[in-house]
Amino acid sequence: MNKAAMNNPASAASAAQESGEIRLVNVAKQFGNSYAVRDINLTIPHGSYCCLLGPSGCGKTTILRMIAGHETPTSGEVWIGDQMVVGKPPVERGTAMMFQSYALFPHLSILDNVAFYLKMRNVGKEERRSQAEEMLRRVQLHHLKDRMPAQLSGGQQQRVALARSLITNPKVLLLDEPLSALDEFLRLRMRGELKSLQDELGITFVHVTHTQPEAIALADMVVVMDTGRIDQADTANMIFDRPKTPYVARFMGGQNVLTGKVVRAGNEPMRLKSASGVIIETVPASFNMGDNVSVSIRRDRIGFARKSQASTEAINELSGTIIATEYQGSYVKVTVDVGDGEPFVANVSDDIYFRDPADVGDAVTMSWKPENVHILNKVDTGEAGASFLDDSH
Amino acid sequence: MSPTPTRKSLLTTYLQVAPLTLVLICFFVVPVALVVVVSFFRYQMLVGIVPDFTIRNYVDLLTNPTTWSLYISTLKFTLIVLVITFVLGFWIAYFLVFHVRNLLVAIGLFLLCTVPFWTSNIIRMISWRPVLGKEGLINNALINTGIIDSPLQWLLYSDFSVVVAYVHLFTLFMIVPIFNSMSRIDKSLLEAAIDAGATRWGVVWNVVLPLCKTGIALGALFVVTLVMGDFFVVSVMSGGLSGSATSGIFNDLQFLNYPRAAASAVILLIVVLMIATAIFRLVDVRKELAR
Repeated sequence: MNKAAMNNPASAASAAQESGEIRLVNVAKQFGNSYAVRDINLTIPHGSYCCLLGPSGCGKTTILRMIAGHETPTSGEVWIGDQMVVGKPPVERGTAMMFQSYALFPHLSILDNVAFYLKMRNVGKEERRSQAEEMLRRVQLHHLKDRMPAQLSGGQQQRVALARSLITNPKVLLLDEPLSALDEFLRLRMRGELKSLQDELGITFVHVTHTQPEAIALADMVVVMDTGRIDQADTANMIFDRPKTPYVARFMGGQNVLTGKVVRAGNEPMRLKSASGVIIETVPASFNMGDNVSVSIRRDRIGFARKSQASTEAINELSGTIIATEYQGSYVKVTVDVGDGEPFVANVSDDIYFRDPADVGDAVTMSWKPENVHILNKVDTGEAGASFLDDSH
Repeated sequence: MSPTPTRKSLLTTYLQVAPLTLVLICFFVVPVALVVVVSFFRYQMLVGIVPDFTIRNYVDLLTNPTTWSLYISTLKFTLIVLVITFVLGFWIAYFLVFHVRNLLVAIGLFLLCTVPFWTSNIIRMISWRPVLGKEGLINNALINTGIIDSPLQWLLYSDFSVVVAYVHLFTLFMIVPIFNSMSRIDKSLLEAAIDAGATRWGVVWNVVLPLCKTGIALGALFVVTLVMGDFFVVSVMSGGLSGSATSGIFNDLQFLNYPRAAASAVILLIVVLMIATAIFRLVDVRKELAR
């Protein structure tokens, strides 16, 4: 009932049929001499919840703004449904954007904020008021309709922003870090609400965030971005469990990355030897002897024991000294210094850990199974983020 | 607990407020009070000012048609100048805030607006003569291109030239407050409006203009008080053909008729206060500034 009322007659028919699929083809955006994003090829299916994930400055907001029409790509094409939308204003694209700071008009009441779009379309005063009230009822803020934005809490302001975006009846809703201004409790609640809203509306959501758990919890499709490039676009599960690059593995936070030279190839399980002499056994893979290969091992797939007599030629085993332990409730995050490179992290389930709690300074041995070693498509070259943003590259 | 610290802190508070209060009393309250008192005094030919309590000065002024025509002329100038400076000021500020992307360039252009103020008022006014005069730049150009046969008389020493000088002198007072309130507008508000389907005009009308109300009100206040209080520009630029409400005061002062000058000043003060009240009725500046 509410849903029918919210649809405004002018655009309801078109939006119902039109696809909210987004296609970016070879998109690049240049600011001055440097590229904000480059070589962006991405298809976001109609009706999916897509999260653009990356550290600040990686270009995710630029992509969002190019889809929204607030930024024009330097080159490349942006398609929404079967329309090439570059150069078109936002309303013609069928997109609506929810801004990071919500961008509510401070001089207008909540009701007038929500009704703004209808006012711009010259909908009569009575008609637009009743539609806006209906929309406010949907976000449960009807009782605040005469307040000014400054009189609302952050969470309420966000709902108003949401209502103001949805009243345009968009095919695509673009959300720029929508949860970053909220406190933890509210963030989790709004996260759930966004997800169920997307389920209910069935339109495409594109959500920019720098928080991994947020992306994993919400998205059908996660797009992990490095400086100006897409590293991997996949389901949340694939991104977390089977990252393609060392950068994604590290950025998602649940993985340890190791690199070694192939010392056994062929039909047998492949073996790598790292610079520090650790032997890593994986499932068979098509690499040649001497190739450099990077692998990732999930933190929660690591066996953990106090160090016994060091066995020579141990396979899939790594010893070191604990430098930090962090209790996380259902597991304990144990950070181990393994001599060279970055520390190794094991998430040890609490019942195993507290049987014999190890402390900082204790020597421990960690081990893992070959089937839990995930081979990355790219060799680790140290820190992620190529310096390609300089035009000279 | 004990009264001593309270009394002490009260004393500190008074001491902190004292300097400004003293300045205001000496330079504002006392002079205004004096003017009000003198306005009720009597002026006697050859004798001068005689302490008295008479409303004759006011009656004289208000029944004199010259006063009314001077006020009407002044209000006419005020209104014309207000409209022109607002249109200019708003668009210049709009350009500086929303179209100049580079902050340094914006500041540079902003400083450029202040260039006229590097010279004195008189020089700025006199410099209009070679431009607007009978054999000035504009007339010469128009005659040489054959558009007109004889020089335009209304360019200089006319209401036109007065308005030109006012606009030249006072537009900056409109630009600055509008620029100030405009630059505090969150740019994402404009994008949100465009996102909701607003046209460029729609954005200006529905978002920028309402959010600049404070600046516009302050700018209008500056311009109104400056034009209403002027007698110099109007007499120089009109060649003595026009006067302003303040010219009356100036004339009375020259005849040493202080009481009537004072009464004139009080009336002018009341008129300006009424206009200011009207402006603040339209825009709650204090509320907007607190925002």
